[in-house]
Amino acid sequence: MKSVSALIFGFNEYGLEIARNVNYKYKDITIFNLDKSEFIYAGDIDYTLRIFDLSDDWEEIEEEFDMEKSIIFCAIRDEAKNIFLTISLRSYFKDATIISLTNNKEDANKLKMAGASKVIPIVETTAGIITDMLKKPIATEILHNILYEDSELKIEQVKIENAKYFEKEFPADINWSERFGILVLSIVHEDMSREFIYSSKSKHTKLIDGDILIAVGYDTDLKDFQKRIGG
Amino acid sequence: MDKFNRYLVDFAYFLKTSVSYQQKRRFFYNILENDDYKYKKYFDIFMIILIFSSVSILIYEVKRDVHDYLNMFNSYVISMVFFIEYILRLWISSSVSTVIIHQDEYSDLLGKEFSLWFVVKRIVRDKLNYILSPKAIIDLLAIMPFFHELRLLRIFILFRVFKIFRYAKSFQTFSSVLASKKFEFFTLAMFASIVIFVSSILIYVMEANDPKSPISSLYEAFYWSIVTISTVGYGDVVAVSHEGRFVAIVVILSGIAVMAFTTSLFVSAFTEKLEEIKENKTILDVSKAKNICIICGYENIAKEVAKKLINSHFEVLILDEDEHRVLNAKKDGLTVLDYDPGAIDSYKKLNIDLSTRVKAILCLREDDVENVYTALTVRSLSKDVYMMSLLINQANRNKLLHSGVNEILYDKEFIGLVVKEYVGQPVAFEAIHEFRSEDSKIKIKEITITERIVSTTAMVKELENKSLRVLLLGIYKKSSKRFFFNPLEDTLLESGDIILVMGNYMFIKEFEKNLAHK
Repeated sequence: MKSVSALIFGFNEYGLEIARNVNYKYKDITIFNLDKSEFIYAGDIDYTLRIFDLSDDWEEIEEEFDMEKSIIFCAIRDEAKNIFLTISLRSYFKDATIISLTNNKEDANKLKMAGASKVIPIVETTAGIITDMLKKPIATEILHNILYEDSELKIEQVKIENAKYFEKEFPADINWSERFGILVLSIVHEDMSREFIYSSKSKHTKLIDGDILIAVGYDTDLKDFQKRIGG
Repeated sequence: MDKFNRYLVDFAYFLKTSVSYQQKRRFFYNILENDDYKYKKYFDIFMIILIFSSVSILIYEVKRDVHDYLNMFNSYVISMVFFIEYILRLWISSSVSTVIIHQDEYSDLLGKEFSLWFVVKRIVRDKLNYILSPKAIIDLLAIMPFFHELRLLRIFILFRVFKIFRYAKSFQTFSSVLASKKFEFFTLAMFASIVIFVSSILIYVMEANDPKSPISSLYEAFYWSIVTISTVGYGDVVAVSHEGRFVAIVVILSGIAVMAFTTSLFVSAFTEKLEEIKENKTILDVSKAKNICIICGYENIAKEVAKKLINSHFEVLILDEDEHRVLNAKKDGLTVLDYDPGAIDSYKKLNIDLSTRVKAILCLREDDVENVYTALTVRSLSKDVYMMSLLINQANRNKLLHSGVNEILYDKEFIGLVVKEYVGQPVAFEAIHEFRSEDSKIKIKEITITERIVSTTAMVKELENKSLRVLLLGIYKKSSKRFFFNPLEDTLLESGDIILVMGNYMFIKEFEKNLAHK
């Protein structure tokens, strides 16, 4: 049976940090590296370590992993090799989720063109977080806790499967905090377009099955809300 | 706060939020001071024409009678225009309402009584600063001919010529460059003065008793010296005795030296001192800044952070000792000083109080050793300044903490957390990151609750955020230093609390105005 895994290309600090943060979802984590000698720094980590070659045709990986459910991270520090790896993986695995890291915006575009599902620009992301810390320290801390830390407050994407519940109401008019103890920030439609909860569209368009609500609240309130309207 | 102070603060807020008042103020600021304002040049040309008209009338009336209308125009109309300009400049030189509001917010924040005395002192100080500036003094003197009955004051029309300095930027640059060589020019002037003084006396002693010599008085001797040392040599007054001619040779040679020295001073002032003047100007600007972010080191992350901070209207100063990186920062249009961020002297030269005038010092070299060194330098100068530092190697985290950094920025950790959220909730992740992006119209904003807001809006339900389509995410209570998510409607608001709101930026603006106007 093929395993569902997080496949991380690049045995470096970024790769290890990614492994540490996705192990709550992927029990099986495999880290690939071009140079076997670097594995001597691995110590006693729990992840499977393997070497690979950019000329590989990935047959072996396809046989071993369920690529539709697995996730791939391209985190090689050499930008050119990282792009080559991304394009090589995409040409072999059409439907796989490939997340690539890059240092600069220029290469972010190239990675998009190479077929990465999501590109994370390291410099821009870090700079954005630093600026937010200075600009809005409280908002940044709260959002950071909601998004990344194990705080009481959570953010959830709740898919509506019971739109009849809001049959006669427009989303902007619903008092979410009073009725459910949560705050709905935005609505994501099936075409992935997003609306802020108080936008004009939300004042005139009713919710339908398949819409996703981005909600913030305490864990119990969110679970209760999910039970009532969604899946 | 007594009634008068309350009315004063209310009036200040009224002026601050009055669209028409602010528009007028902005217009006059732009037309008088903002070199980037497209209509300013027309105003400058108009003023230059007035100045030349005024001086032309003065010259014309030396030998001819001037028509009364022209005199009237010169004495009243032009003076009145200058007077109005003077008053407008005085008005825009500093904002009275801002001083009152700042004092109100300051007293709110510290829980102190509003001090009217402080406000008056600050306003008078700001206005006096302007009135006593050289440009303002010239402006005032240029208005004097208005009192044309006092003949003596007519000479002040000449001060109108000096007003041209205000409208022609190149004059200002020229004078600032020359000012940088003040000492050299002073030395030169002293040398020339001594030569002129000695040669005048010598030529007078040697020629005054010679009937053939045209030099018969000390004044003529002085005139001869000036004409000779300047290498002009009119030839109307010449030395005739052998002794006198010997003195002439010495003065002529000195004159050549003085001219050569003067020329070289001008050239070197422009070549050598321009960079220094720019640096001094940067330091001056920095010393005036109130909430500046100092970025130490200009590499990839620093570059992006500087760009984002400037877009968010922060004042940013880059310190770096590497020539190549300094050049890069300059090319990117940033304020940069070629100073070593790890040297105490660099911060002393800035002449600012790091604890009160600096928002944060960011050690953003992509090298832990350099960042630790910079952090220790900064901490040795100020215990209170907020400091952030980039961490490159996780093994050095403790070293950075020990060096006194308040916040460690480990980019690998950031990326790990971003990945964690993306993997868990991809749709929510995209939505939140869209809101946080600079281009998004939906903004998350922190609004500080002042005593004034509390007096009109005591509870959460009185915020009326929903009617203005603004989402209240929560309140950060100053008293308990805790964040209360989705607060109950009857939650009390206290001065110093911070509310966290989210919405379209225009609605948030409206919401803030609404809070201030209530």
